[in-house]
Amino acid sequence: MDFSISKQEEAFRQELRTWLEENLPEGWLQGNRELPEDKADYAVFLRKWQNTLYEGGWGAISWPKEYGGREATLMEEIIFYQEMVRVQAPPLINYIGIHMVGPTLIQSGTDEQKEKFINKIITGEEVWCQGYSEPNAGSDLAAIQTSAEKKGDQWLINGQKVWTSFGHLADKCFLLARTSTHPEKKHRGITAFLLDMNQSGVETKPITQMDGQQEFNEVYLTDAVAYDADIVGELDKGWRVMIALMLHERTGIGAELFTLEKRFDDMVAAIKDYQINGRPVMDDPSVRQKLASFYARFRGSLLNYYRNLTSTLKNGHPGPESSIDKLAVSELTKEMAGFMMSLQGHRGMLWKEDAPIDPVWQDEYLFSFGQTIGGGTSEVQRNTIGERVLGLPKDMGR
Amino acid sequence: MDFALNEDQEMFRSYLRKYLDKVGQTKVAREFIKGNTNEFTVVMNGLAELGATAINIPEENEGLGLGAVDLVPVFEEMGRVVLPGIYLETMAFAVPLLEKYGTEEQKAKYLPDIAAGNKQLSLAWLEPVKDYSLDQIECAVKEEGETLVINGVKELVPDADFADAFIVVVRNSNDGLSLILVDRDDELSIRPQKCMDESRHLGEITFDEWAVPKSQLLGSWNQGVNLLEEGILYLNAGLSSLLVGGMEKVVGMATEYANIREQFGQPIGRFQAIKHTIVDMKMDLEMARSLSYYASWTLEEMDAEKQKAAVYSARAFATEAFIRLASENIQIHGGIGFTEEIDCHLFLKRARFYEHYLGSVRDYNELLASALGWNKNETSKNMKAEKVVHGQ
Ligand SMILES: Cc1cc2nc3c(=O)[nH]c(=O)nc-3n(C[C@H](O)[C@H](O)[C@H](O)COP(=O)(O)OP(=O)(O)OC[C@H]3O[C@@H](n4cnc5c(N)ncnc54)[C@H](O)[C@@H]3O)c2cc1C
Repeated sequence: MDFSISKQEEAFRQELRTWLEENLPEGWLQGNRELPEDKADYAVFLRKWQNTLYEGGWGAISWPKEYGGREATLMEEIIFYQEMVRVQAPPLINYIGIHMVGPTLIQSGTDEQKEKFINKIITGEEVWCQGYSEPNAGSDLAAIQTSAEKKGDQWLINGQKVWTSFGHLADKCFLLARTSTHPEKKHRGITAFLLDMNQSGVETKPITQMDGQQEFNEVYLTDAVAYDADIVGELDKGWRVMIALMLHERTGIGAELFTLEKRFDDMVAAIKDYQINGRPVMDDPSVRQKLASFYARFRGSLLNYYRNLTSTLKNGHPGPESSIDKLAVSELTKEMAGFMMSLQGHRGMLWKEDAPIDPVWQDEYLFSFGQTIGGGTSEVQRNTIGERVLGLPKDMGR
Repeated sequence: MDFALNEDQEMFRSYLRKYLDKVGQTKVAREFIKGNTNEFTVVMNGLAELGATAINIPEENEGLGLGAVDLVPVFEEMGRVVLPGIYLETMAFAVPLLEKYGTEEQKAKYLPDIAAGNKQLSLAWLEPVKDYSLDQIECAVKEEGETLVINGVKELVPDADFADAFIVVVRNSNDGLSLILVDRDDELSIRPQKCMDESRHLGEITFDEWAVPKSQLLGSWNQGVNLLEEGILYLNAGLSSLLVGGMEKVVGMATEYANIREQFGQPIGRFQAIKHTIVDMKMDLEMARSLSYYASWTLEEMDAEKQKAAVYSARAFATEAFIRLASENIQIHGGIGFTEEIDCHLFLKRARFYEHYLGSVRDYNELLASALGWNKNETSKNMKAEKVVHGQ
């Protein structure tokens, strides 16, 4: 066992720290981390941040050098996340482009696709979203109905996507559509398209989430146009491309685990300061007991992530165990945020500027409901772990 | 980053597993329960031949000179088969304390024998109607010339009936705590206590003007609190691994059964109520394993506060989780799970055995809280857990 990091990795961390100090938006490190309220300004701000990262050589560190990356090792990627969480850096608007679409195109895109898309991903010029889910196809993703039909040299795409994160800000969409209506298995006959969002056949309607934010969208496709050149991989074999695309997420849920770690520390700090009826809540043994058991669980989750990471390092790719990390982190985040709500008593109902401790807990609580659903629900993660890690019999219908 | 047991450790694990499979896994415990302890003795000798009893003993005392992490696979494998005995107390309590605080004479007297598998030590701490708080220790020692004379009663002493020696926690005349090595003697009054986990023996020992030579004092006078604090760190790291081994077996049993048992025309593992329960068991297992590996690792690599946080969180989590898993395993097995015939109950009883051993989950959570600096200036002063470590 060895938890140390090498001299090289330490140098990498220092280089990044220095760079962040010099390049984070003004006032950020001092705690002024307000993002613009106005949606257009917000997008401009985050695109600019992506571009700043790119210019500093931090835009897509795991990519090959010839595409603007650094060929970072897995450990360097981890350090990158740790540092971004430490300074609470602005969110990565092009997360999907950088971690999924870019690497997929680099590996299996055509020369033309590489030429056309890759540089614009890393510079933040084009933001990407993922168009998978539909009103009748969520967990059962292979049930998608959005169709793509060939007319002349065009593919005409019709249907509706939903819950599309970043859809309102995105220029491009990694889209799954049905190209064959009579496949022998329903996940065959699906094709992956690189769709242009800035066209009249694509209409995006933001959905307001339960936390008041609008990060995901409904996307209506009415004769939206794509070309043969926009197909990734082979016709009718989009399922395979999508699975491969997900594997490009080498470090997976890491950033969320480091965020959870930070949240845990913040939680303890907040509780240490917090009093009810003039009594420090930390004096309440039931609070300490709860905190102690959260500590064990979050440390356990983090260490478990390191253990999975160690096997990713050895095998070169992540295994189905990553579902364990996703399930642990999302459920624990929800429970911890729920505990912080309860702790605040009746004033826990107050939020935003009236929140008794810090509105972050109320926000986190509401947001956490999205974490146990998005990217595969907790139930679906349990199926994956049960079937692929433990070897239990397959769920019916799959 | 390399968070895994190394190849040697995994290889050693596979030898142990092969050996314990060969001797019939839980068969040893079952024979032991019936009162036939021969097989257990044979197996302990076999494990000693493989080197299991020499691992963390220094080379100059005829051991292998390895560390706490090297014990992890042994504990896990023993946990898998609910092996009886006081390997834990010997290797993870007595050995580290002897190594660090023992006199040359004491080391020579105990360590080579332990390494060879000829000696096992137990821990005599708890007293009747008391808990593990150190201010409740009444068992007294007085000096009379070249001997130490002990008076008092200890109970719930693991395997009191066949331990070769005991580390006894005593109060001395100037009200400090000290540890004394007391060798087994047929004259010593030991009353067996019935234990729900019948694969474990417990005993009540009455010391009535019991004399041992002065050279049996472990560490110096009044050093007992510090020694105990260090000792229970080692012991709990080891215990966590023992629990993990049990948990791993339980998850394996549940998985296997859910694959073969059919109801309503399909394996019960296809029902999500069952599948998801097993997955949650697996989640707990993997958390506990990561916590326990890390706990053992910190013993040689980290400062005391980090060790405490790592060890106590592993201990508290694993204790509760094992009870949870062992219970679910019985439920998943249905009617057969309720019988003595199959192993489910052995694990549940073992989990309950350790629930309060050397302190409860509550106590360990409090210790964890103070290790993390959460309760500096408040009410916990009257909590028992505080006193386990900080003494009078
Ligand atoms: C914050 C957020 C961001 C998202 N971003 C995107 C995005 O960018 N792109 C995109 O395409 N999608 C996105 N999604 C959609 C997400 O992938 C789906 O919501 C998710 O897969 C669940 O599908 P569903 O909502 O249709 O629920 P359903 O599949 O209808 O599930 C309803 C309930 O049934 C349960 N269930 C379903 N099937 C099973 C089963 N086999 N066994 C047991 N229980 C089952 C589910 O667990 C859930 O509890 C996002 C969702 C969220 C919340």
